Amino acid sequence: MSLFRTSPSNRSRLVSRTAIALGASLVAVAALAGCSSAGGSGTTTVSFYSWDGTATMKPVIAGFEKANPTIKIQASYGTPVQGYISTLQTRLNSGTASDVFIITAENKQQLMDGGFVKDLSDEPFASNLATAAKDTYTKNGKLYGAAVASWGGGILANEDLLAKVGVTTPPTNWADFISLCTKLKDAGITPFYEPADGISVSLAALLGIENQKLNGQMDAKIFDGSSSFAKTWTGPITTWSELFSSGAESRSVAGLTGDQVTTEFEKGNVAMIGTGSWALGGIQAAAPSLKLDFLAVPGVSSTYWAGAVSPGYAINAKSKNTSAAEKFVSYLQSSAGVALYQKATASITTTKDFTPTLDPALSTMTAAVRSGDFYLPQVSWPTHSAELNTEATSQLQELIQGKTTPSAVAADLDAKLKSLAG
Amino acid sequence: MAFETVAAMPQSRLALRRPQRGRLRRWREEAGASLFLVPVLIVFVVLFAIPMSQSVYYSFTNFNGYSNDFANVGLRNYALIFTDPTLASALGFTITYAIALTVLVTLFAIPLALILNRKFFGRNFVRSVYFFPAIPSVAILGLVWGFILNPLGDGVLNTVIHALTGLGPVPWLADSTLAQLSTIAVAVWTLTGWHALLYLAYLQSIPSDFLEAATIDGASRLQIFRFITLPLLTPAMTVSWLLLMTNGLKVYDLPITLTRGGPGFATTTITQAIIQDGIASAAVGQASALAVLFLLVVGIVVLAQLGLSRLLERKYT
Repeated sequence: MSLFRTSPSNRSRLVSRTAIALGASLVAVAALAGCSSAGGSGTTTVSFYSWDGTATMKPVIAGFEKANPTIKIQASYGTPVQGYISTLQTRLNSGTASDVFIITAENKQQLMDGGFVKDLSDEPFASNLATAAKDTYTKNGKLYGAAVASWGGGILANEDLLAKVGVTTPPTNWADFISLCTKLKDAGITPFYEPADGISVSLAALLGIENQKLNGQMDAKIFDGSSSFAKTWTGPITTWSELFSSGAESRSVAGLTGDQVTTEFEKGNVAMIGTGSWALGGIQAAAPSLKLDFLAVPGVSSTYWAGAVSPGYAINAKSKNTSAAEKFVSYLQSSAGVALYQKATASITTTKDFTPTLDPALSTMTAAVRSGDFYLPQVSWPTHSAELNTEATSQLQELIQGKTTPSAVAADLDAKLKSLAG
Repeated sequence: MAFETVAAMPQSRLALRRPQRGRLRRWREEAGASLFLVPVLIVFVVLFAIPMSQSVYYSFTNFNGYSNDFANVGLRNYALIFTDPTLASALGFTITYAIALTVLVTLFAIPLALILNRKFFGRNFVRSVYFFPAIPSVAILGLVWGFILNPLGDGVLNTVIHALTGLGPVPWLADSTLAQLSTIAVAVWTLTGWHALLYLAYLQSIPSDFLEAATIDGASRLQIFRFITLPLLTPAMTVSWLLLMTNGLKVYDLPITLTRGGPGFATTTITQAIIQDGIASAAVGQASALAVLFLLVVGIVVLAQLGLSRLLERKYT
């Protein structure tokens, strides 16, 4: 009522001010609130938060929708790794996660322990998954993720540069590998680069050999306290550090990323790099004239591959469209779904009813990868994977610079694990 | 009609009503104006006050970002911060970075502003050139400088050094000390032009009478700078130092794109550690404790720096 006691000009000014202010407030509230909608009639909509990009998943989703016309997939795409993990984390916490999403090494503990993902053990497609794929996403006998592919990591060699020093057969032990590097260096060819922005594939493979010696129980023993990083890692790290002490690999790799190393290889500036099967397509596209071959990482007396099971598909435990979501995940494991996925990614798929056609350069690793004979510590660690991976990466960068020793690196990881378990 | 009513009132009542009406009108106008603050207030509350309060709350819990089933852990998260060598290293580099950035940018920006304040051919173009590094995203600059400072022999800077001196590649981003220096150098390069223009704006507001009078009195250029220009620039220094110090303490984008926090933990910053703990390690409680503690540290440092700036302003202006 007080408005009517003001003069007309003041009143109109006040009214318009109020209207503008309220309007602006509403705009702000609307902008902050966001909105969501769902539905459609006659069809069931399954939401899917994809790890792979549109180019990969679009044909797969189209194939599913064609085979299941009553189900529509509403896909959104994340940016691996941290962007995807943090977005999924927020959505799960707020109860707005999609029906189907990705479970991966970086979040599997939180997803499985927190009851966010549905048990897939009794799904018919579970029997079609590779043993390594099932093992990776199984906890307490329950399967929580369905992975269709794995990747292998080793030494990618430029055959033409190796031929310049008369080498046509791959080294089968570590001493021969160092000797090959020395020979290349003497010929004026940079022998080997490996990025230091993570645990390198060569070290992972050397640790894999150690894991084999312990019947695949190395990490289980470290984490239950019956062994330690000092007992199991010091040897492989000492072997690996010979790359730098012998001059086979430049200490400058401490500041290099995978992309920088790959670019050097594509330009023909380095004879061998440590990388994974995922990099092959990009390298071939950038440098089609290179003759390439993947070599297993030579250990002291045997060779091995680094590698891991790829991220798997999981169903939201709180999904209201469980039946349709199961159909979608089932299709993703089917030979039709895997064929479309493999065509888009050229990855080493591992489902039992589909044999992928792969690039010849991957032939050396295909059997080992499909049978799960590979190792990657950060995937194998049962808990605290992210923290230990960060710590190991930083310690190894210090080691490359010559500022610490293999035994100190291993001891530091033991101390880190102890503090985390605290 | 209203006029007649008022005119008929006794003088004492009229005297009472006038200030009341005046106050009421002022209150109404102020209330109307205050409504304009509502949108900003909503944004402040939703995007700052609530998340900040949540962070304080989470800092006393073992919240992992996924499940709302978490427990109170008291001061355990705060205790962990003081026993983690990684965080000590991150704090050390962050403070070094902020102080070095503030000092070096000031040392370069003031002389640059003095030069840009003179009349010479192409002055506006030169001003634009120095201002340019402040335009692109720092993340993009980090990637570009990563290419320039590539530690391999075919890195841009290493190629130039080799061509001029014949020296082998310098491990700019592959050696802890060099990586720290490189990060600071790139940040100084990025910000010097922007802050020089800030000083330039203040320089142009100095009355020419002061300078002319000093010149007539026989003051040298150095004396004019020391006793007139520099004291009159202290308000600009307050603004510049505040921006440099707060942005320096909160830095994330440049180190993460240039060095990814390495080698080792050499260029890891506190904000990077907060994000690493909160997202990758799913330790939101611990990350929140670090964020709260860091907010306090930034607050104390900024208050101390503001106090110092005010002291200088009072002394010299």
